[in-house]
Amino acid sequence: MSDESALLREPWFDFGRQREAGKFGIWVFLGSEMLFFGALLLTYTVCRIEHPDAFAAAGRATNIWYGTINTAVLLTSSLTMAMASQAAASPARLRRLVLACLLATALLGLAFVVIKGFEYKEDIDKHLVPGAGFALPQPGAQLFYGLYWLVTGVHAVHLSIGIVLVGRLFWEFYRRELPTQANPELEITALYWHLVDIVWIFLYPLIYLPGRSS
Amino acid sequence: MSAPPGHATGAGRLWRKNLVIWAALLALLLLSLGIAYVPMGRITVAAGIVIAVMKSALVLLLFMELAKSGSLIRLAAIAGLVFLIAMFGLALTDVLTRT
Repeated sequence: MSDESALLREPWFDFGRQREAGKFGIWVFLGSEMLFFGALLLTYTVCRIEHPDAFAAAGRATNIWYGTINTAVLLTSSLTMAMASQAAASPARLRRLVLACLLATALLGLAFVVIKGFEYKEDIDKHLVPGAGFALPQPGAQLFYGLYWLVTGVHAVHLSIGIVLVGRLFWEFYRRELPTQANPELEITALYWHLVDIVWIFLYPLIYLPGRSS
Repeated sequence: MSAPPGHATGAGRLWRKNLVIWAALLALLLLSLGIAYVPMGRITVAAGIVIAVMKSALVLLLFMELAKSGSLIRLAAIAGLVFLIAMFGLALTDVLTRT
């Protein structure tokens, strides 16, 4: 009960309603995020239908190892995030498990950003930035890489926000400023983290897998 | 609230459940990687997207707990999907039927 009174915020009188409203709010936000990334992926789809061969050649020029390893890193971060959220929601007191899983999630997120940084460095060295001196001859390949930089960049910004949010929760829980059990901020952060993971799940086949079989 | 043995079983149960989902996600990742190298034309492209849909369904239903959420939460999630489908549907009916 003391946990609940420490977590209850204006304007709610009832903690159960506060939790439900928080979840509903983040899902509405995630719906708008789906449409935001959806519009970018729709642009990709239309460009790919117009330039199938150029997109195959451009996809083949990406580094599949960076892409596959980063997908595995992000899927694992979703595991630790889900563990943190479910451990906090569990009636058993699992504060240390919550802390460990939050730290692991933030570190896996950081690992993703670092690996992506190495990949960006390699892309720049291989002249895969659209514009003068672009590496591939097909004009459509520049469309692919224009979208590649835009979508992966926006995704990296989202992930960085997630790392800050998860890191902040870890720090507050570590200093015992907030109770971990049934904490709505943790549930909401977890939902955001998983959506950023889902965006990457779709980016993986669209960016790294085209043209591998031809 | 509960004694130390309760801790272990609670945490162990959560790990077992979630590690199975994680293993399925990684297996699907490797499957989509493998299929990408099999020359089947459009089926190869479709397989990558179908596997991505399967992976995100696992994350949505189990990690994000939509499977056991209330109807209000499900409705909010489905609203996002419905508008996404409308956007793709309307745009692609144009693009795919151009002659």
